[in-house]
Amino acid sequence: MLEIKKLKKKFGSKQVLKGINMTVEKGDIIGLIGPSGCGKSTLLRCMNLLEKPDSGEVIFEGDNLIDNKNFETLRRKIGMVFQQFNLFEHMTVLDNITYAPVKLKLMKKQEAEKEAKKLLKEIDLEGIMNQYPSQISGGQKQRVAIIRSLMMKPEMILFDEPTSALDPEMIGEVTNLMRKLARDGMTMVVVSHEMSFVKSFCTKVLFMSDGIIKEEGTSKEIFENPKDDKLKSFLSKINSY
Amino acid sequence: MKKYVIFLIVTLCIFLTGCEEKKEEIVMVTEAGFAPYEYYSGGEIVGVDVDIAKRIAEKLGKKLVVKDVAFDSIISEVKTGKSDFGAAGISYTEERAKEVDFTINYAESKQVILVRKNSTIKTVDDIKNKRVAVQLGTVADTYLSEEYPSVSLVREKKFLAAIQDLKDRKVDVVVMDELPAKELLTDDLIILENPLLIDEYGMVVRKGNQELLTAINDAIKEMKASGEIEKMILSHMGVEEKEKNETIWDRFYNSVIKDQRYEFILEGLRNTLLIALGAVMIGIFLGTVAAISRNIYENTGHLRILHWISKSYVSIIRGTPSTLQLMIIYYVIFKQTDIHIILVGILAFGLNSGAYVAEIIRAGINSIPKGQWEAGYSLGLSYGKVMRGIILPQAVKNILPALGNEFITLVKETSIGAYIGIVELTKASDIIASRTYDYFFPLILIAIIYFVITLCLSKLIGLMEKRLNNARN
Repeated sequence: MLEIKKLKKKFGSKQVLKGINMTVEKGDIIGLIGPSGCGKSTLLRCMNLLEKPDSGEVIFEGDNLIDNKNFETLRRKIGMVFQQFNLFEHMTVLDNITYAPVKLKLMKKQEAEKEAKKLLKEIDLEGIMNQYPSQISGGQKQRVAIIRSLMMKPEMILFDEPTSALDPEMIGEVTNLMRKLARDGMTMVVVSHEMSFVKSFCTKVLFMSDGIIKEEGTSKEIFENPKDDKLKSFLSKINSY
Repeated sequence: MKKYVIFLIVTLCIFLTGCEEKKEEIVMVTEAGFAPYEYYSGGEIVGVDVDIAKRIAEKLGKKLVVKDVAFDSIISEVKTGKSDFGAAGISYTEERAKEVDFTINYAESKQVILVRKNSTIKTVDDIKNKRVAVQLGTVADTYLSEEYPSVSLVREKKFLAAIQDLKDRKVDVVVMDELPAKELLTDDLIILENPLLIDEYGMVVRKGNQELLTAINDAIKEMKASGEIEKMILSHMGVEEKEKNETIWDRFYNSVIKDQRYEFILEGLRNTLLIALGAVMIGIFLGTVAAISRNIYENTGHLRILHWISKSYVSIIRGTPSTLQLMIIYYVIFKQTDIHIILVGILAFGLNSGAYVAEIIRAGINSIPKGQWEAGYSLGLSYGKVMRGIILPQAVKNILPALGNEFITLVKETSIGAYIGIVELTKASDIIASRTYDYFFPLILIAIIYFVITLCLSKLIGLMEKRLNNARN
């Protein structure tokens, strides 16, 4: 579904990505882990071109996104959920969810609202649809953000540390929604520091260090039988907590 | 909203075209605070110069229009062809003669010395090392600057201000023309017997305008020979009776009600509002274009040239005084162009305000977190849709207080319109004071009006802020 070839990205003089190759198949749930500053968030943001790579290819369903005139249309099919939720502060929950599909003329307003209400109802959030982001909790915000990306009927969703900004008691409601998406067969790439969640949730895990993918495998292989020294020391640091 | 803007523009156009007369005009430029040569009476500029000018216009078969500007602007008005001739008790000097052509002289005046009654200054020689007030750009100004380097000169925009300085002991001496000096003389002041110098008044026309020069010269010759000019001078002397022991009510009556003087205030108010309103619209338009074109360039790399223009525009406007911008637009850019002066004001102030609005909008856009852009982009929205639907609505709310501030500043700034002869509020109060010799009520009155306008404006902005906040909470 998504293929990345020889991807390189520099910020100033720092080479953040040093030639990444990876493939996301339909139905994959990929966890991207690694020490902070290893480039995993940058890699994720390159997948829908929020960061423009310096070289390499990002091929989504056969089309290279880089320097593609149509990339805004292709991008719709790659949802993204952010650490800081990034809900539109001046819109109600309902408007947040319906804004893009209506503006892009993918749905009529009524149709979009009906769909949004249905999705909100499934996770018991229909009560907050007329509230503004500043009036709801972090867990609610992140679930609204997920629904907002679902409205574009994406082929895959990118999660950039979706639970890092949440209070501990709210993490569960967000991860439960993600598990539900997984059951429905959604393809996902998740950057996370929640190792226990990655371990139980992801079908495939990539360990990044210093701008390259050091090791990849099933979550069992990565967590129970790590081979790379850096991965070993990374896991031991986390486990010693 | 759109409807209101269109309505305003249409009204503006109707108003401005309504002001244009189709009949052929001859424009005399003057500074109407110089009785008996030119002064306001009942809302009209009258005086010796106006009487002579009327005769000239009659001979040419044209309609006389009298324009009131600052004295130091008269030469450039004539030079640039904005006015046909200047008549303002202008003394012949070589510098002026280089810029414009002088007619033959039609009156002569003594530059006399005014002092307080108990002053130790008795003769011309005594003024050395003294503080002397003159009107900026008059012959007294040039003469004293050259011949009496020891005096410390106070150059006032108005004779009246110079006299006030003398009464307030800010200066020891005032040097000015004899006839207006006699008009302004009060019990506590005297005129020294010997004048500083005697000079002659001529009118001025644009260099090379031989036809008009000859016509004016002929008229002056004729009127001088028949003794008419002398009669005119006499008829304009002592017209304004000086009242003593005035009560506050008398002063109010004289300043506001007598001769319908409130009409100046009303005209000033109308022009101030018109300029401010027009300038706000232009300012918002230019500011938005400048700010957004910069943002487009910084985000997408498009519109490189417009971005460069916007950047230069903002730094040039912010880097020069607004008075200068106004004068450059009027005397340089619209030189010899027949454009309504209110329109010049609207353009100049709008251009000025646009630069500040641009920076305010730019700051507002930058105040929105990057995540809002990224969320929009990740949904497949284009730059334009994110800007319009997500960034600008939030930015507008953040910048409302700063925008309100800018518009309040703009309303007050219109007072410099007087430099190019716009009768806005400040000029209106000046006109009244030049007739009543009393600054108190005109100044206090317009101060109150400015305050009320800006107060309404800040209430309006406050109301908009509240509505935007209510929509969210």
